[in-house]
Amino acid sequence: MKKTFKFYISLWGAKIVAGMLKILRKNASFLPGKVAITMCKNFLGIIEKPEIIIGVTGTNGKTTVCNMIIDALEKCGYTTINNRLGSNVDAGIASSLINGATFLGKTKKQVAVLEIDERSSIKIYPYVKPTYIVCTNIFRDSIKRNAHTDFIIDIINSAIPKESKLILNADDLICCSIGPENKEKVYFGIDKLETDVEETNNIIRDIRTCPICDTKLKYEYMRYHHIGKAYCPKCSFKSPEADYLGTNIDYKNSTIQIKTKNNITEYKLISDNIINIYNMVAVIAVLTEFGIEAQKLKEIFDEFKIVETRYSEEEVNGKKIIMHLAKGQNAIACSRTFDYIKNAEGKKAVMLNLDDYFDAKESTEDIAWIYDTDYELLNDDSIEQIIVGGVRSKDHYLRLLIAGVPEQKISYELKEIDAVDHLNIKKVDKIFILYDVYTVEMANKVKTKIEEKIKQS
Amino acid sequence: MKVEVLFPELCNLYGDTQNMKYFKLCLPQAEFIETALDEEPTFVKEDVNFIYLGSMKERTQEKVIKKLLPYKERIKELIDKNTIFLFTGNALEVLEKYIQKDDGTKIEALGIFNSYAKREMFNRYHGLLLGETQGIDIIGFQANFSFSYGENEGQNFLNLKKGIGFNKEKNIEGIRKNNFIGTYLIGPFLILNPIFTKYIMNLMGIENPELKYEKAIMDAYETKLAEFKNPKIK
Repeated sequence: MKKTFKFYISLWGAKIVAGMLKILRKNASFLPGKVAITMCKNFLGIIEKPEIIIGVTGTNGKTTVCNMIIDALEKCGYTTINNRLGSNVDAGIASSLINGATFLGKTKKQVAVLEIDERSSIKIYPYVKPTYIVCTNIFRDSIKRNAHTDFIIDIINSAIPKESKLILNADDLICCSIGPENKEKVYFGIDKLETDVEETNNIIRDIRTCPICDTKLKYEYMRYHHIGKAYCPKCSFKSPEADYLGTNIDYKNSTIQIKTKNNITEYKLISDNIINIYNMVAVIAVLTEFGIEAQKLKEIFDEFKIVETRYSEEEVNGKKIIMHLAKGQNAIACSRTFDYIKNAEGKKAVMLNLDDYFDAKESTEDIAWIYDTDYELLNDDSIEQIIVGGVRSKDHYLRLLIAGVPEQKISYELKEIDAVDHLNIKKVDKIFILYDVYTVEMANKVKTKIEEKIKQS
Repeated sequence: MKVEVLFPELCNLYGDTQNMKYFKLCLPQAEFIETALDEEPTFVKEDVNFIYLGSMKERTQEKVIKKLLPYKERIKELIDKNTIFLFTGNALEVLEKYIQKDDGTKIEALGIFNSYAKREMFNRYHGLLLGETQGIDIIGFQANFSFSYGENEGQNFLNLKKGIGFNKEKNIEGIRKNNFIGTYLIGPFLILNPIFTKYIMNLMGIENPELKYEKAIMDAYETKLAEFKNPKIK
């Protein structure tokens, strides 16, 4: 698209706004882009972009995947435009491109790595056409915003550029339905695991019947929710084969092999959480498609760690305090976290702080999502205590009872910080603090109080 | 006592399935039958006491309509016989005259009720609702791609106190005919409304019904009801 006078005015206006926000030490990851798009509707289409664009979309794992891609590319000497510090909607993408552009709207960087909100697809893809689009997975997300998976898939498919090469999760049949007209697709997945089952008890399983003939799907193996290797017993529909297959996962030695058509390479595992292992395999797939050699990737993964705002561990007087982002209002993210806690070694206490930050301040939260979440996973002998904090704690308490958790294991308080008083340190080896994206500050206060309690005990 | 849950493998959005999981805890002596879309519903050949259908994706609505259409007369007969039905979320639209899509085309539905639904996929509504029926305060949430229009006065489920009803102009919500109850409220409706759950159990012929975890469920209800009644909370 040709650069117009309006475009330049918008660009300069946005740059001035970004500069002012910087002086005021405010986040400039949304407003400059918003200003530019408001002043020039097709701003995103006009501004020059790097030659290679990697888009990352999907329900869970977008930020982690983006962070790993950016770090890996920068370790390989590439300069990137990215929105890792800010918004993943159209204004956020525009802000990132503005930041990476000169006053004449020319790009200063070699590669753009953009986290793209699924719902914003229709506002982004007509203007930004990624070379590669990675989709981590498609699950139910916030009821308020994302409704259900058909709604999200329809939005993505109505806008996705047909020329983009898609990197999709082979173990997620809903994700595989993205881009039916895209010619170039590769798939990543994880081979059968010892922990896989024939049938899951998860409440949410968003694809149960064949999309072609409506017959109930069968699975070679199921992992969680609708993730697994499926086939239709009546027609030819089945999960695609993975071009990048994670296999021979060795948790003891923290290694994983990635099998491709041409070779098998062993990598260091970045996490023992299956969700992050999927994220890792997705990153290896896209970076290999980008052209980075396996040996180089292996060296990069030797140094990787998951960003600390999402997961961190600390030991105080022999007790482990684990901070774990659980994303309230997202039933899948919470269910996966509960599963991780259930399978963690030792005796555990769980501090549940999952209230929505904004609803807690101004409204009353729609708690339907907690009935889509597998609280039943917390009904486990290894979990000694579950302590709920927050204005919706009575709802979580009731949900835990319905999940079969014995009443004597549960306590609750309307204030998260007060809930710490119920913690019985002596009974447990590990304390998990679960928190939402916007409640890191509160979670840190809870953590500090627990640390003090351990030190005093 | 028989409770039939229709198509739980597909009609399970927004935590709706937990209505029946909780109901089962309250009615341990009852038989719960889960009928899949490729099976014949139990109510076709025998009477059941309670029939539940939960929220579903829009494409699933078409499949459910196709499935239930041959049983239209039987469903009418059961409604006339005072069988208890609870349809939550967009499930009630299956029994309306038709569903009008964004492009103006219509999906013919069972036509048991005179109202019709208008769907707008890019104009979604999410909000809370406070209503009243039989002297009971009802609370809950809606997440609608569609609202219902047409005549349903005298057949409403709730009188509205807060939120949006059948559509943005009406201060009534849902459909009530005999013991058929259809509501746009989503999610754990029976768990959110324990007094109404007892009312349903009464309708089923249970005298002095007891709820599972009654103290905890009443405590959660009263706390939330006070919030819903707070004029500052919208």
